Amino acid sequence: MHHSYLDKYADGDSFFHCLDSRVKFLAAVAFSAFVLLSGPKAIAVLFCFAVGPFAVLIWADIPLSFVFRRILAVCPFVLILALSGPFYDRLPENVAVGPYVFSLAGGWLRCISILGKFTVTMMTLFALVCTTRFADLLAGLEKMRLPQVLIIQLGMLYRYLFVLMDRVHHILRARSTRKLRNLGFRRETEIAAAMAGSLFIRSIETSQKIHIAMQARGFCGQFHSMRTMEITRRDIFFIAGVIIFLGLIQWGVKPFMGGAFL
Amino acid sequence: MTAAVKIQDFSYRYPDGTAALDGICLTIDHGRRVVLVGPNGAGKSTLLLAMAGFVRGTGKVFIDDVEVRSSNAGKIRMLLGCCMEEPDDQLFMPTLYEDVAFGPLNMGLNPEETKQHVENALRQVGLEAMARKAPHHLSAGQKRAAAIATVVSMSPKIITFDEPDGNLDCRNRNNLVRLLRSLSQTLIIATCNMRFAAAVADRAVVVDNGRIVADGPAADILYNAELMAAHGLETP
Repeated sequence: MHHSYLDKYADGDSFFHCLDSRVKFLAAVAFSAFVLLSGPKAIAVLFCFAVGPFAVLIWADIPLSFVFRRILAVCPFVLILALSGPFYDRLPENVAVGPYVFSLAGGWLRCISILGKFTVTMMTLFALVCTTRFADLLAGLEKMRLPQVLIIQLGMLYRYLFVLMDRVHHILRARSTRKLRNLGFRRETEIAAAMAGSLFIRSIETSQKIHIAMQARGFCGQFHSMRTMEITRRDIFFIAGVIIFLGLIQWGVKPFMGGAFL
Repeated sequence: MTAAVKIQDFSYRYPDGTAALDGICLTIDHGRRVVLVGPNGAGKSTLLLAMAGFVRGTGKVFIDDVEVRSSNAGKIRMLLGCCMEEPDDQLFMPTLYEDVAFGPLNMGLNPEETKQHVENALRQVGLEAMARKAPHHLSAGQKRAAAIATVVSMSPKIITFDEPDGNLDCRNRNNLVRLLRSLSQTLIIATCNMRFAAAVADRAVVVDNGRIVADGPAADILYNAELMAAHGLETP
């Protein structure tokens, strides 16, 4: 797993890249909350919401194919949840698409709504991580007084996730070079368990070495930071834009499109 | 004049009872570049850990005349910096800048002093332009240099290196040799690479089976074919 899998575009210099990470984080959380709290069958409003992250991704020069490939990679989990809708809600509802009106089971509307909300919130999340370096995001969270232990855990997770995934790939490659035939379910399971055990032990060894490296540089349990951040006029402009956009949807668009309409 | 490192009759056994170090006596003067050479499992890395106080056995270890004890670990850390074998274990912060600043901040330096230390260290290893990069964005050679910067930024009098030339190609190894030769601190380097050892050190100590079996000028020790062969090593 290469680091560019996640943060390939985070080092850009667009308007959104230069914003304070706290502002972007809070905007993403607020925006996602508005999306998730929209009605269970308010599908048309989701299209309006999608304009926000879509515009950010385009403006920040993030290829949409990069974002949608990653959304597709995680969508199976949500797909299972969404597809359960039609099984328990079969009451027909009228749906209008322009001049055409037809009947559709409520469960299918829920299914589309869940997938829509998932797509819009994931686009928002990718707009955040593709325009913010993870270190800046952590610095922002730290300034927002999130527990330091959580910040450290997230930082270590991000730092060593790639090391761990590389090790997994090396182990799998070593296995495939010596695996000449299918060994049957039981034997394959035993081998997989042994590989997981080996990975676990190596992870513990690595954590011990990291701890020694930290102690060797005077670490006594307290993290010190020299990160400084400040809100600029650009950030205020962005906050105002987000508030106006959400206000327009909430009070300008939603009252007219809040029903079960596509 | 005090010795940079003084080890008196130090012995250490692994928890399973295997002797890792046996009666080690070693004195290293300030400003020297010393290589610890020996076959795999000879006890080189354990000896480096003992100097930093991470391994406690019988006998005494002094760093710049300060005895290594758990009660003065903080003082020892400021005198002796450790460069681990694997740079990924050494570089754990989200950005290179924060990683290099980690030690100076723990020393209690204020942000302005820390900034100075970090910038000097990064300049010394030639990574000023990489300061905002995440460690996993660096190449193997850059990671090695970055790991050295994390220690140099603390301005220790002594720096230990565990197999610093591991996984480096010829060009990066030559860069590392230049970098190590440019450092003014006392350097203690554990390695199995005799060419690297000969290029860096002025003194060589051969360790085998947890004992020091030879100690002297690098040119005499490393080119002694009979001695090297007797301990599973080769001449440069």
